[in-house]
Amino acid sequence: MSANKKTVHMSAGQVVLSVLKYAVLIALAIVALIPFVWMISSSIKTSIEVFSVPMNWIPKEFHWENYSLIWERVPLATYFKNTAVLAIVVTFMQILTSSFAAYAFAKMQFKGRDMLFMCYIGTIAVPWQAYMVPQFIMMRSIGLYDTIWALVVLQSFTAFGVFLMRQFYLGIPNDLSEAARIDGLSEYGIWARIVLPLAKPAIATLCIFTFVNTWNDYMGPMIYLTTDTKKTIQVGLRRFIQAYSADYNLIMAASLCSLIPVSVVFLFLQRYFIEGIATTGMKG
Amino acid sequence: MKKLVAVLLSVMLLAVSACAMAQTTLTVAGWDTATTPYYAAIKAGYEAANPDVTIEWVDLASQDYNIKASTMLSGGDTTDLYCVKELSDLQNWSKEGLVVPMDERIAAESYDMTKYAGMDACYVSLADGKQYALPFRADYWVMFYNKDLFDQAGVAYPTNDWTWEEYAAIAREITEKTGAYGTHYHTWTSCVANWAVCDGVNTLADGEYSDLKYFYELYQALEDDGVCMSYDELKASGMHYSGAFAQGNVAMMPMGYWYASTLMGYIKDGTASMNWGIAAVPHLESVPAGSSFGSPTGIAISASSENQDEAWKFAAWMCSEEGAKVIAETGTRPAYVSDAVAAVMASAEGFPTDETTKAALLPTAIALEWPIGDGVNEIKTAVNEEHTLIMTRELTIDEGIAEMEARAAEFLTK
Amino acid sequence: MTNDAATARRTMSKLERHNTLIAYSFLAPNFIGFVVFTLIPVIFSFVLAFMDWGGGENVTFVGLDNFRYIFKDFSFTRSNLGIALKNTVFYTLMTVPLTLVSAMALALVLNKAVKGANFFRAVFFFPYVASLVAICVCWNFLLMKNGPINQMLNAIGFNMTKSWTSSRDLAIWAIIIVSVWRNAGYYMVMYLAGLQGVPAELYEAATMDGANGWQKFTKVTLPMLTPTTFFCSIMMIISCFKIYDVVAIMTQGGPGRSTKMLVTYIFELSFGGEGIATSAQYGVASAVSMVLLAIVLLVTFVQFRGEKKWVNYM
Repeated sequence: MSANKKTVHMSAGQVVLSVLKYAVLIALAIVALIPFVWMISSSIKTSIEVFSVPMNWIPKEFHWENYSLIWERVPLATYFKNTAVLAIVVTFMQILTSSFAAYAFAKMQFKGRDMLFMCYIGTIAVPWQAYMVPQFIMMRSIGLYDTIWALVVLQSFTAFGVFLMRQFYLGIPNDLSEAARIDGLSEYGIWARIVLPLAKPAIATLCIFTFVNTWNDYMGPMIYLTTDTKKTIQVGLRRFIQAYSADYNLIMAASLCSLIPVSVVFLFLQRYFIEGIATTGMKG
Repeated sequence: MKKLVAVLLSVMLLAVSACAMAQTTLTVAGWDTATTPYYAAIKAGYEAANPDVTIEWVDLASQDYNIKASTMLSGGDTTDLYCVKELSDLQNWSKEGLVVPMDERIAAESYDMTKYAGMDACYVSLADGKQYALPFRADYWVMFYNKDLFDQAGVAYPTNDWTWEEYAAIAREITEKTGAYGTHYHTWTSCVANWAVCDGVNTLADGEYSDLKYFYELYQALEDDGVCMSYDELKASGMHYSGAFAQGNVAMMPMGYWYASTLMGYIKDGTASMNWGIAAVPHLESVPAGSSFGSPTGIAISASSENQDEAWKFAAWMCSEEGAKVIAETGTRPAYVSDAVAAVMASAEGFPTDETTKAALLPTAIALEWPIGDGVNEIKTAVNEEHTLIMTRELTIDEGIAEMEARAAEFLTK
Repeated sequence: MTNDAATARRTMSKLERHNTLIAYSFLAPNFIGFVVFTLIPVIFSFVLAFMDWGGGENVTFVGLDNFRYIFKDFSFTRSNLGIALKNTVFYTLMTVPLTLVSAMALALVLNKAVKGANFFRAVFFFPYVASLVAICVCWNFLLMKNGPINQMLNAIGFNMTKSWTSSRDLAIWAIIIVSVWRNAGYYMVMYLAGLQGVPAELYEAATMDGANGWQKFTKVTLPMLTPTTFFCSIMMIISCFKIYDVVAIMTQGGPGRSTKMLVTYIFELSFGGEGIATSAQYGVASAVSMVLLAIVLLVTFVQFRGEKKWVNYM
């Protein structure tokens, strides 16, 4: 009897609890998304309506032409192209160098391995800002100032990529590589034929991370790029804001456009994102 | 016959080689020379007048210019002339003997130094009192106004002798009558505080800021009455002055002369449509009408140049009336101002044609926006920071000025 | 026998050397780039801190002058370094706990097999991938004088007369809000991973002992999550000390010096402030960088020393 009562009582509590839970979740989702909703609504208003009091979430008239206007006003297409080129080159370089180096850290024995790895990890703690000035001076003296190559070399050799790939390689059973070694496969062969194909999820994760970071990077391009036709989308967007700051609607439209590529990448590949973050959090 | 041909040929050859011998090439360092139109115009203009000289621009990136030019100078590079971007750089170059003084040549030719509205003084070395460069370009501040809004309010256009009181009264009147903004202040410190330096005596680095009080009070009264957009919103929205004025709901805007070409561009491509004019910035009772502030760009001769005479000739031409006309044709404000130069500026396509505008192109005196000297950079940062506190009303005007003075004092005593 | 052993040893060491060479060849592409573009600048930065250099030909050794310069009349209310330090530390002290608490809360709500968990997870994570400039501009508008947030606050009885970024007291909170909002989703994912690692038996045992929900949380969940919390807090503290871009876009360090951060100060010394072309003081900038580096390393060190006391590894 009493046991029965208890179950009934619990399930009632559970109903309340789950209703409450969804209410909280939806409220939080609104908080997370409201700036984006506001952006969308502002982007199809007139610039005067953006700040009308009280504000309308749904515009009185829809001004879709804002989206075609922005492409005429600033070289958005150039900014997009530059950023895409940069993001692709950097992503490729990172995958290549990191997956290579991580193999040595995860699958090989050599003197000073652990020390060297600690050094790598240590530099993650060193803020880039602490050495960006000498780095800038160096880049300038070798003639990379105002070229995208400065940004390429800046982002192609990160310790983070090595760390992430190593964490993943550690999870690949050593038996596989040992067997290959006995079969006479060289280390390069093992890397290319066994480890790399198995590490596809990690590569995907690193790809996405690098792509998103490069796409969203603001400070690097701001320091290194001065010619307008070389600028990336973040810096270009900032320039657009300063030049057309009276047109809030256009700013929001341009901002939304800048969000589209990363959003698409994120929506389709979010699984890898989440797995990747979880991997870095693992103790290794 | 054959002989004759041979003689003729050899004479021609001689003539050609004689020509080639006399041809001098002057190399001149500047920044963004490929993209800034007046460089090509200067080259074409000078070569047309002096067929025996070729001008070659050495293009250095704008951001790097100071460092690269300094490195070239101290490395004994044979580049003949250098454009001067930062005043403090010229001071260093002259101190180290990397550029040559021009006083003797100026005296020998009785070169006219009176048409620069005072913009030549900053090229005098603080160490030895000699003239080390001449100015060829000077951006000074004027007042842009929207004629359509003045017409709509039924108010007479600004004149070149307005005082700040008259300016404020008209701004109010226009706001009352049209609902548009009477005036516009961009968020820069120079838009409010720099008016105090127009007397040519005060500077923003002298550590004494009570002279700014008048201008902050004037601004705050206008802001309170809704005559101009609020600083708070301008700052938060990051609005730029170019768009603010081009929208067409701002009657007046004191701004650097460079805005004229931006505005003409906007009108040409349809971003803005309005009738506009330029007037001199208003003045204090105690300061003569037509006084403004600005910053020059100059040219100096390298001590390593092997063509000292030709280099001087070129610099002298570039900074004279003839050079000024060439520069003015490209829409840039030359340092040399005369009626003839003003006429060239006014003849640009889309430029206002009224007499007031034309007269406003002839300022009586231009003070330096920021002076040169030790500690100026630190003081500049401090003044800019306290400026934001006054403008956001986080500090009262008196508190802000006291803060500016206290912080400047740290660097003045150095 | 001994001969064999010697040969074996020799082959071993030969093999080892060969192996080491191959390992280095794997490391080389990344390592060379890493040395050239990271390690050398770090060392260079350290050297520069003792030099006077404006970027030109003249570099002079000035000993501790740069440090004397930045520590001159040190005070948290007046000197540039003091104010930048105070702001950065305040920002870090507020942002880290707020982000961790929100991240953990999000993870806890999502962890209990909710329908549509994947959808909500994507929603919470989205701010992290959205581009910064767009986000900051948007928040600047939301927090404006007559923006929607102030309208809402005024409706419930507050008296908001200023944009947040125009107020000395609220400007830093604008930065904190944006940072928490942006990063909570990222750390939520870390906590979700951490929660997967908590064995179900522990909860069952706790239920048997008659523990209520709150007790289960404080006695089981929280201790089991300490490794995650430890890792997240280190990562966050480091990234908080590096704060620059949000500030640069939203407030430019103002009004006055109320949001001037350590990196803002470094930036101002090396590249000039927004709209102000000042000549570079690379030496002084490097000295400030060294202070930043020292603090970050100290915090990391202290965290690791304290790790044993509060982190609970199974």
